[in-house]
Amino acid sequence: MILNYRNLDWKLIGVAFALSVIGILLIMSATHFSSSSFERYYYQRQALWLCVAMFVFAVIVHLPFRFLDLLAYLFYAVGVILLALVLVIGHTRLGASRWFDLGPISLSPSDVGKIGLLLALARFFAYTRLPVTSKRRLALSALLMLVPALLVLKQPDLGTSLVFFVVLFALWFWSGLSPLYLLLIVTPIASLVTASHWLSWAIYLVALLVFLTLLKPGMLFSVVAFTSNLGFGMITPFMWNRLADYQKSRIITFLDPGHDPRGAGYQIIQSKIAIGSGGLWGKGFLSGSQAKLDFLPERHTDFIFSVLGEEFGLLGCLIVIVLFGYLFFRCLKIAVRCRSRFASYLIAGATAIIFFQFVVNIGMAIGIMPVTGLPLPFLSYGGTALVLFWTLIALIVSADYNWQEY
Amino acid sequence: MGDRYRLALCVVAVVVLFMFGGLIKLQIVQHDELSALSESNRLRVVPIVPPRGIMYDREGRQIVNNRPSYTLSVVPAEEVKGKTLANLSTVIGLDTTQIRRNVRRTMITQYQPAPIMRDVPFDKIAVLEERSGDFPGISYQMDRVRQYVAPPGSEAFSGYVGELSADEVERVDPDLYRLGSMIGKKGLEKQYDQLLRGKEGTAYFEVFSSGQVLGPYAGKQRVEAVAGADLTLSIDLDLQQLATQVFDSFCCGAIVAMDPRTGEVLALTSYPGFDANVFSGVVSESLWNAVSTNPAHPLLNRDLNGLYPPGSTFKLITVGAGLEERAIDINSTFRPCYGGYQFGTRFFRCWDKGGHGILTATHALEASCDVYMYQLGLKIGIDGLSKYMGACGFGKPTGIDLPGEAAGLNPNTEWYNSRYGKNRWTNALTLNNAIGQGEILTTPIQLAQFYCGLANHGLVYRPHLVKSIRYPNGKSAPVTPELSFKLPFSESTLATLNEGLRLVVEGNQGTARRLKNDLYSIGGKTGTAQNPHGNDHSWFVGVAPLENPEIVCCAIVENAGHGSEVAAPVVGQIIKKYMEKKLGLNKVAQATIPEVQP
Repeated sequence: MILNYRNLDWKLIGVAFALSVIGILLIMSATHFSSSSFERYYYQRQALWLCVAMFVFAVIVHLPFRFLDLLAYLFYAVGVILLALVLVIGHTRLGASRWFDLGPISLSPSDVGKIGLLLALARFFAYTRLPVTSKRRLALSALLMLVPALLVLKQPDLGTSLVFFVVLFALWFWSGLSPLYLLLIVTPIASLVTASHWLSWAIYLVALLVFLTLLKPGMLFSVVAFTSNLGFGMITPFMWNRLADYQKSRIITFLDPGHDPRGAGYQIIQSKIAIGSGGLWGKGFLSGSQAKLDFLPERHTDFIFSVLGEEFGLLGCLIVIVLFGYLFFRCLKIAVRCRSRFASYLIAGATAIIFFQFVVNIGMAIGIMPVTGLPLPFLSYGGTALVLFWTLIALIVSADYNWQEY
Repeated sequence: MGDRYRLALCVVAVVVLFMFGGLIKLQIVQHDELSALSESNRLRVVPIVPPRGIMYDREGRQIVNNRPSYTLSVVPAEEVKGKTLANLSTVIGLDTTQIRRNVRRTMITQYQPAPIMRDVPFDKIAVLEERSGDFPGISYQMDRVRQYVAPPGSEAFSGYVGELSADEVERVDPDLYRLGSMIGKKGLEKQYDQLLRGKEGTAYFEVFSSGQVLGPYAGKQRVEAVAGADLTLSIDLDLQQLATQVFDSFCCGAIVAMDPRTGEVLALTSYPGFDANVFSGVVSESLWNAVSTNPAHPLLNRDLNGLYPPGSTFKLITVGAGLEERAIDINSTFRPCYGGYQFGTRFFRCWDKGGHGILTATHALEASCDVYMYQLGLKIGIDGLSKYMGACGFGKPTGIDLPGEAAGLNPNTEWYNSRYGKNRWTNALTLNNAIGQGEILTTPIQLAQFYCGLANHGLVYRPHLVKSIRYPNGKSAPVTPELSFKLPFSESTLATLNEGLRLVVEGNQGTARRLKNDLYSIGGKTGTAQNPHGNDHSWFVGVAPLENPEIVCCAIVENAGHGSEVAAPVVGQIIKKYMEKKLGLNKVAQATIPEVQP
C-alpha cells in the first residue's frame, strides 16, 4: 500500500521513539559496569531490537487496515496456540515457562497473545449486535479473554495475565458499559484483598453497602454484587494458600517492605533508595551508584525507572511521565476521532495495555504498587516487548491514517 | 463517546498526579534520608589494625612480639555444599559443624570472606593452595598473631590477648574497641592495653552489592592507624628462664625477684603456667575446660593471687615490732627454748624438737626459733603485730602494674571478733601469728616488697615491670621508680634485722647455711607455711649482696616441706645467676652453691 507519509501521526511516532531511545541509554547505564560482558552489550542488542521493531512497525503501517480486521481471529488463534505450546516446550527460567528459545533470542508468546486478544476483542465488540449489558455479550467477551489469560496464569505469570483482563475491561468501558457496572465487577477483587484482615473487610463491606444504597442500581444488581463480594471475601484464605510462595511474599512485601529487607523487600527498598537519592537533578548519566554497584536488582528490565530516577532525578522522571501522558492523550484523541468502531476499540485496547504496564511498573518502582514483574513500555530491556509496543503504535498510527474509513 | 474520552483522560491525569506525588515524596521530602542510605549501601568501613606493641626485657630481648600468620576464610556464597567444608575438615582437623559455627559467628555478608581459623600452619596452607580445586570458596589472608617467646610461667606477668567478646564489648570504650578486636585479657597485656594496641585506622571502600571492592571510597579520607607503643620491661630474661627451669622438678609455686633500690621486678613466674600462645585468639571450649579445671590451677597467678601464710619469713616483723615497741633490745633474752612453750593448757612446739636454748633477737632469727617468737609475740599483742604488719605493706595490694592483685589478710582483734565472736577466741592465736602461721595470708609479691624495704634502708619502692615506654613517634619515656612507703623501723632496728638475715646464711645455727659462699654475701630468711590441705609450703626470701643489696628474691614451693631444704636452694640458684652476670661468669662458677634438690 502506498502511503502519504505526511499524514502519519509523526508526533505519536516521535514520542514512542524518544522513549525507546531513552530506554536504550538507561539500559546502557544499568549494565555498563556489569561483570558479565554479555550484559554490557544489552544496550546494543536493544538498539538492534529497536531496528527490528521499526521494521515491524513499517510493515504493519503499510498493510491495508482492513486486513487486520479480517484476520483478527486468526491472530487470536495463533496467540492461543503459542501460549499453549510454550507450556509444553517452552524454556523454563526461574520456575516459569515463559519463553521459546530460538537460538540467540527468546520469544515470549504472551506478547503475541496480547495482540491476538486485542484484535479479537476489538472485532467482537465492533460487530456484535448484542446490547451493551447483555449477559451473553459479557460472557462471550470474558471467555475470549479467559482462554489466553488462564494459559498465561499457568506459566505462571500473574502480572501478564492481569494485562489480558485489563484489555477486556478497557473495551467493556470503551464499548459503552456503564462505569458503575465496571466498578461492581471489580469490587469482588477489592473484597478479596481487604479480606486479608477481618477489620478491613468489615469496613469495606459497610462502605459497599452505603455505596449501593446511595446509587440505587437496582435491587437484583445490588444483591448479586453484595453476595459476590461476600463470596470472594470468604475464599480469600483459600486463595492465599493457593498462591505460590513468591507471590505471597510479593504481597507481604508490598504491604510492608521492611518485613524482610534482605529478602523479598530488598528490591522495593533498593529501588526507593535509588530514586530518592537521585533528588531533583539526579546523579548524572552513568553515575548512579545503586545501579552501578549492583544494589538495584533487575535494573535493566523491571526497575529501569529506578535507574532513570537515580541518574536523572525528578526532572528526568517528569519528562518521561509527561511523554507517556502525551502519548495517552494522543491515543485517546485518535480513538475518539476514528470512525470505524473496530479501529476505535483497537486503539482503546492498545492504549490500555501501554497505560496499565506504565502504571504498574512505575508504581512498583516508587513503592506504591506491589512487585509484578511487568516491564515499562518502550524503556525496559526486552526485544519481544519492544516489538509488541511498536506493533501497538503501528496499529494506532495505521488506524489514525485510515480514520475516515468505516 | 465524549464522556468516555473525558473519563479516560481524567484517569490518566489522576494517575500521573499520583506518580508526581510519589516522586516528590521520594526525591524531595525523603531525599536526604535515602541519599544517606545509598551512601551507606556502597560504603564498606574496614578497620586497619596496627601492629601491637612489642615487649622487651631489660637487655632489649623480645619477650612478646607479633608473628605473621595465615587466617583461613570461606566466602559462603562461593562454597559448594557437601564438598568445600568436607574436604577442608580433613585438612585442618575441625569438623564441619564447628566450621559452620565459626562462619556464623564471623559472617558479614554471603560474599565476604568469613574467618574460620586463625594462625593456620603453612603446610596446611600449602595443601589448600596445591589442591585449590577441592576447596571452592576458601581463601586465606595474611594476618598477625601475638607470639609469647618467654618461657611458660611468664604468662604470670605478660598475660595474653583474646578476641573481645559480646558481653565485654559493652564495658569498653566503643571508640577504641569493637566486637572481635584483640584486647589484653590478663597481665601486662591488659594493664597496658591502650598503649600496646595503638589506635585502629579506618579505610573506606566502595563496594558492589556482592561485597566485591571497586576501589577507595572518594567521599571519606582514610584514617591511618597509629602503631602501639613498645614496652621495655625490667624483667631479665636470663633470670626468668632460670626461674622457670628450677620448677621443673616441683608441682607448683612462684618466684619473684626484685631490685630493692627501684622496685623493678627482675623475674616473675608462677608455676605451673600455660602457653599464652594457645590462648591468643579463639580459645576452644575443650582447651579452656582443660586449663580451668586442672587441679594445679595454672590460671592462678600465684605471685599476685596466691594466698599463703608467710611462716617464719614473718619473724622479721615480730622482731622489728618488738624492737620498735621496746619490748626487747638487741641483748634481751626470753625463757630458754627446750623444743616448745607451754601456754595455758596447750604446748606450742618449736620446729626444732631439740630446742635452741637462750637466744638474743638476731640469733632467734638465725635459728628461726619459734619459742622466742611466742614469748615476744605475747609481749607485743595481736594488734601490735597487726599494726606493724599493715605498716609493712601486708593486707593490701602492693600496687604493682598488673591487674587483679589480691590484698592478703592482716587479722586484728576486730577481725577475730567478727570471725569467731567476742571472747570466743584466746591469746593463743597471738602465738600462731608471731611465727607467721594462723590466719595471716600474704602473697609472694607482698613478701618480696617487704624484704626490699629491709634491704633498702626501709624505703619501699612500688613493684613495677615496665621500665620504659617507647612511643611510635620514636620517643621513649622511662618509668621513674615511685616511693611507695617507708617501713616503720628505725635505722638501728633495720640494722638488727639485716644482721638476722646475714646470720640465717652465715651463722652456725643458720637455717640456710648451705647458701654461704666466699664470693658474695647473701642473707635471707626461710619459712615453712603450714598447710592444712597437705604438705607444708616451703618459703625462702634471699637478699644479695648484703653490704649493698641489688636483688631480693622470694620463692614459694608448694607442698615441698621446710624452707631451708627446697626454697632456699631455688633462690640461691637465681641469686647466683644474677651475681654471675654482675661479676663475670667464671669467678662465680667456682662458688660453692648447692644445686637444687627436689
